[in-house]
Amino acid sequence: MPFTYLRRENARAAGAALPAGERRHASPGPEPPVLELIGVGKTFGKTTPLAALADVSLRVSRGESVAIVGPSGSGKTTLLRCINFLVPYDTGRILVNGRLIGYREHRGRLVPDTEQRVNDIRKRIGMVFQRFNLFPHRTVLGNLLEGPLYVLKVPRPQAVERAKAALERVGLTDKIDAYPAQLSGGQQQRVAIARALCMEPELMLFDEVTSALDPELVGEVLAVIRRLAQQGMTMVIVTHEMAFARDVADRVVFMEAGRVVVDHRTAEFFARPATPRIEAFLSRFAVPGGAG
Amino acid sequence: MLQFARDYLPLYFQGTLVAIGVTLLSMMLSVAIGLLAALGRLSGSHAARSIVSAYVALFRGIPPLVLLYVVYFGLPSWAEQMGIQPLAAFLAPLNNRVFSAVVAFGVNSGAYSTEIIRSAIAAIPHEQMEAAQSLGMSYWLAMRRIIVPQAARVAFPPLGNEFIAVLKGTSLASVIGVTELMRDAQLVAAATFQNLMAYSLAGVYYVALVIMLQSAVTWIEGRLSPAHK
Ligand SMILES: Nc1ncnc2c1ncn2[C@@H]1O[C@H](COP(=O)(O)OP(=O)(O)OP(=O)(O)O)[C@@H](O)[C@H]1O
Ligand SMILES: [Mg+2]
Repeated sequence: MPFTYLRRENARAAGAALPAGERRHASPGPEPPVLELIGVGKTFGKTTPLAALADVSLRVSRGESVAIVGPSGSGKTTLLRCINFLVPYDTGRILVNGRLIGYREHRGRLVPDTEQRVNDIRKRIGMVFQRFNLFPHRTVLGNLLEGPLYVLKVPRPQAVERAKAALERVGLTDKIDAYPAQLSGGQQQRVAIARALCMEPELMLFDEVTSALDPELVGEVLAVIRRLAQQGMTMVIVTHEMAFARDVADRVVFMEAGRVVVDHRTAEFFARPATPRIEAFLSRFAVPGGAG
Repeated sequence: MLQFARDYLPLYFQGTLVAIGVTLLSMMLSVAIGLLAALGRLSGSHAARSIVSAYVALFRGIPPLVLLYVVYFGLPSWAEQMGIQPLAAFLAPLNNRVFSAVVAFGVNSGAYSTEIIRSAIAAIPHEQMEAAQSLGMSYWLAMRRIIVPQAARVAFPPLGNEFIAVLKGTSLASVIGVTELMRDAQLVAAATFQNLMAYSLAGVYYVALVIMLQSAVTWIEGRLSPAHK
């Protein structure tokens, strides 16, 4: 907690010179934000089109963690999946480290990019899924080696070193030779986080990573993510755990019907809910002091 | 009966080995075709999908015996009549009975393997592909490292059944003179006039082979599963 606090202060200091309204769009230095979404839209279905995302803009600077909250169906998962192009967005732009993902400019128009260039960006983005999605036919070590060995082409000894270091970060060194099916849900999710960490990502995406877990296993996974935040990992965290968002996130983005309704600093978001809708939403989670 | 079995043991044994050999080679061809065709069918390419669909429809429909005749009696002589040298040279190996049998059974069984492997790949949750792609893997790398190894476990039991079907089907190769088990039984029957004995003995050998094969499949399946949920 003290760490997050410090970082939050720093981020504020960096943006302090700008007018309040501009602050969240301020870049702390010459480097581009790790993640930038500009007017992103995504519509599913041809016969009965449904706008899962509409004109979403968002910036995440290095070291920031942003929580995305909102009612079911508001487009949170779609947003995350657009960021690493598992879902192709249809309008707007998504830039990761200043690089457009999924499309490239050709004679002033955006055309689909090659698979290889998409993968080039994907390998810098770690994604953790709601249902872990570990590779069941590989041991924990095998799961952690796939990316470094076959995508990054790291020599095996170094890849094994990476895997061990990542396992240590999630506290599962003793499970290195276990198969996913032999682990609890919480352990599987920590392995999934380690698998993403092995790629040494610059950005981590978490999609409700505790909502498939038994309540008593939620804590161990959140603790791992909290530690990553303290270590300065840049993260976008979709969550229904309001207390966790409040504790870990620098900013909270509230989505509804595919739109970003508010994007506020965490303290502000919880202290002064911007709309009655958000207030009602927060009251359902009974965050101490949140709705009241 | 026992005496009969003992007398012809070497001959039947030899025929058994030939049957096993033809089966193994046919299955290798069958699985290779099946894997390629299944991947083609699942790929985005329209042409690949149509070719595979046509292949499956054709070779699932044609009786193996008819195919065997076409391959062994039909193709090489047709190539010679056409007088196209490279074609004739290409098809010349089909003059070899065993080779012809392997091609016919392999291509025939490949249609079934295609369907088995395709549905095994389709049975792997789509999330596995997404997890692999989120690591930066390309579609084909993900197929090779993540999807196909899992699909192999799913496909293994039905491929085992296909193996058994091919083994029994090799008895058809007797009609083009491959000296496998059935052909040996025919030779023995002709020499001894003990038709019932000669053919029943071949039947016993087939049953024994199938039982051994089935146990091997079950055993390997058991070995594969504990790692898998
Ligand atoms: N592949 C898809 N095809 C069609 N519609 C989809 C698809 N994926 C999402 N949608 C629709 O897009 C909308 C946004 O879905 P999304 O999964 O992003 O919501 P969410 O905020 O993550 O919800 P939850 O909190 O329940 O996970 C929903 O109405 C959903 O039905
Ligand atoms: Mg979701």
